[in-house]
Amino acid sequence: MKTLGRPFWIAVGWLMLLTVLAVFASWLPLEDPHEIGAAEARLGPSSSHLFGTDALGRDVFARTIFGARISLLVGLLAIAFGMLVGGGLGIVAGYFRGVTDQVISFCFFTLLSFPALVLALLITATIDRNQWTVSLTLGILSIASVGRLSRANTIVFAEREFVQAARVLGADSTRIITHELLPNVMIPMGALALLGMGIAIVAEGSLAFLGLSVEGDAVSWGKSIVDGSQARDLENNPNVALFPIGVMFLTVLALNYAGDRVREYFDVRETAF
Amino acid sequence: MTFTLEQGEMLGIVGESGSGKSVTAKALMNLLPRTAEIDGRVRFDGEDVRALAAAGSRHFWGVRMTMVFQDPMTSLNPVKKCGEQIAETLRYHLGHGRVAAMKAATDLLEQVGVPEPGRRVNQYPHQLSGGLRQRVVIAMALACEPDLLIADEPTTAVDVTVQKRILDLLDSLRKERGMSMILITHDLGVARGRCDDVAVMYAGRIVERSSTETLFDRSRHPYTDALVRSIPRIEQPSHARLDPIPGRPPELIDPPVQCAFAPRCRYAQADCLESVPPTEGVGESHEFACHHPANTPRGREALANNVAAGVTAAGLQISYRKTR
Amino acid sequence: MAGSGHAPLRGGDSTILEVEDLTVEFRVGRRDVVHAVSGISFDVLEGETLGIVGESGCGKSTVARSIVRLNEIAGGSVRYLDHDLAALSGAALRSLRPDLQMIFQDPISSLNPRRKVREVIAEGLVIWGDGQGVWSRDRIDELMETVGIDPEFGDRRVHQFSGGQAQRIGIARALALDPKVLICDEPVSALDVSVQAQILNLLEDMKQRYGLTLVFISHDLSVVKNVSDRIIVMYLGKACEIGDADLLYEQPRHPYTRALLASIPQPAPTVDESEGDISGEIPSPVSPPGGCRFRTRCPYVSAVCISDEPEMQQVGDSDHYVACHHPVVR
Repeated sequence: MKTLGRPFWIAVGWLMLLTVLAVFASWLPLEDPHEIGAAEARLGPSSSHLFGTDALGRDVFARTIFGARISLLVGLLAIAFGMLVGGGLGIVAGYFRGVTDQVISFCFFTLLSFPALVLALLITATIDRNQWTVSLTLGILSIASVGRLSRANTIVFAEREFVQAARVLGADSTRIITHELLPNVMIPMGALALLGMGIAIVAEGSLAFLGLSVEGDAVSWGKSIVDGSQARDLENNPNVALFPIGVMFLTVLALNYAGDRVREYFDVRETAF
Repeated sequence: MTFTLEQGEMLGIVGESGSGKSVTAKALMNLLPRTAEIDGRVRFDGEDVRALAAAGSRHFWGVRMTMVFQDPMTSLNPVKKCGEQIAETLRYHLGHGRVAAMKAATDLLEQVGVPEPGRRVNQYPHQLSGGLRQRVVIAMALACEPDLLIADEPTTAVDVTVQKRILDLLDSLRKERGMSMILITHDLGVARGRCDDVAVMYAGRIVERSSTETLFDRSRHPYTDALVRSIPRIEQPSHARLDPIPGRPPELIDPPVQCAFAPRCRYAQADCLESVPPTEGVGESHEFACHHPANTPRGREALANNVAAGVTAAGLQISYRKTR
Repeated sequence: MAGSGHAPLRGGDSTILEVEDLTVEFRVGRRDVVHAVSGISFDVLEGETLGIVGESGCGKSTVARSIVRLNEIAGGSVRYLDHDLAALSGAALRSLRPDLQMIFQDPISSLNPRRKVREVIAEGLVIWGDGQGVWSRDRIDELMETVGIDPEFGDRRVHQFSGGQAQRIGIARALALDPKVLICDEPVSALDVSVQAQILNLLEDMKQRYGLTLVFISHDLSVVKNVSDRIIVMYLGKACEIGDADLLYEQPRHPYTRALLASIPQPAPTVDESEGDISGEIPSPVSPPGGCRFRTRCPYVSAVCISDEPEMQQVGDSDHYVACHHPVVR
């Protein structure tokens, strides 16, 4: 009997803990993450400021927890958007093949060959940058890669005899896609979604360095890391940048590991014995 | 399991998937993974084969004892020309020079009946048909003039007309060279038509072994008997009712201590469920492992009892109605 | 060889399936066309089992798949009762689907690994509007009983079954729609020897019980003979011989049929084993030889075989047709 294993549950536990903290951040006894000069600036970690304070005297722990709200949300929404659009188009292309496939695949290629960063700049520079638009930007960037993987997975299953059997039974294309292909394609795609979420979270960090993450005083991990990344801070108060980096690292690691285990776990044995 | 093979003889090992016939071949060829536990001895021409393996003997497998697999593509390197692959064997094992090896490779292809061998040596495996590929593999196996050739389902992936040609080829090569052969197959017809001796495997054991004629005409093990009966025969009229073996082969993980065939056997009695039947007639021309062998008084009595009761000791219902 | 001509068509009211001049071509690469099936004609009477036998690449599976329209048809017609399936598409074709069902070669691959056995068998009923009510569940359980699967296992998934059991499930799925014609594409070639007979007997039982008409594809001559009333021997996209099963095996006329019968490990008593020694390789279906397609390997080849394609001709006045300029008479 296959099991997911203890490390998997540790990873899931970490993600759960982070989610709960992020969701209930406002009700938790945390310092105000936005208030400048609430405490002395550039404090090291202590019992009153677990992760210390940044150059403006804000509590780094509170900023990391509140940052999780934006970062996790952006990660989740971005990959959800990518899955919905890219995954959907990929299945359609992989199932119908022919001209449909050629058109969709051409779009994927175009999207892939466009420099991602320039595209992100174009979008984020022209619109308001809140958590929704940043998610949308990253989501659009993920469409092509997600779509190509979904297309490849669909092709593998579309050639199997059970799809032909469904057609002989009289199932129309919609039913074949939703009842025969989707349940099979969803497993590898679900695993990919977890990996993709990790990538989106890191990508938000990169946007923050360009000053293109969420605007205003909204906090994200990317922005927290940027705040602590001036040369003087990195040298004297590395805690300001390192704690959010550490949390982001553990989160992405947990997502990648969980994704990998999920894929292995659901790898259906095709032969009976 | 125990069996011996004389020089120049063809032994057939017959069994279904999971019966252990391929594992046997791999054990002989020292090809089993490290996780496998192997007990017992394999003697080849008086030498202990497993001692050779331990000693790291490089020029035994592939030279004196060699193997042909079911799927030729698994034994051929897809990015190397056929001729080079055969020549490589010759250069490695026999120390031939490059030119001599290529010449020998061309000759070998000719011997196994590959048309235009001069052209084929320069072709890649994917450019050949399945039948030709299998011939290239056979040529490669024969390159070092082995004493024993193990062929694992060599014709399962090819059509009947090609199968006939390959089996004819193996037959004539065996006769010309006095080579011994072990032919592993699931096809009773192939075993019957080509082998001197046949061993039938079920659930990891040889359940019956004898000369081919005896095995098919006077089978003792109910599994052999039932297998022969279950197969549609070309001389029967169409729509002849078949006599299937009920149930399916057992799984080999933690088998109970009983005759492995008992749950599917029409002859099964209480003692079949209590102990694994020992092999009778070891060393004689006909051995089998059954408490109530078919076509013997003991077997007839067992069958009559079961038919009268309508059910075997293992709970198998004997009637014309199908059981689940 | 050959095979054009309509001689083997018997016509009449009891014809359920009539295939006329069926041609199927596949494009490979930019220019090449594989001539998978080239103008084959046959009919199937209600309640009959038609066997199609031949070696790999002869087009037998393509014929089967064309009948249920799993591939495009380049020419000819496939008539089921009054409908030309070759001319139909979309909803019109789908509405006839329940009548023509199929059983596949690889039983495991033909079942969706992510669905429960009961769902798999009920799929046809769900599509055709039976819903998933109580009645349906009883029907599914009954079907499972019929094919020899314990209904208790209805909630299991496919990978928990052996090949033989999976094939039984495939048969139950096809039978759920109460079909008229069942196409069996090599249904036992992936199964263990000891299980083959079970499935062949089951098919025979189901045929009797549900009044089915069977089209049975196999490369195994003995298996085909066992199940069929009438048999077609195919070579390279053409039919070479058609006839009553017993008659065809008793008096094979086409050199290729004889070669097949002589090649099997226990050759048929009606042929000489040496007739199995046909030379050469099967030509590429991309550029099949003109005239008779078997001429490149036939021991009886003559000038006319190269210039003219043989037509199907009746042998005597029996149900036996052969497409050969030099049919063998022994």
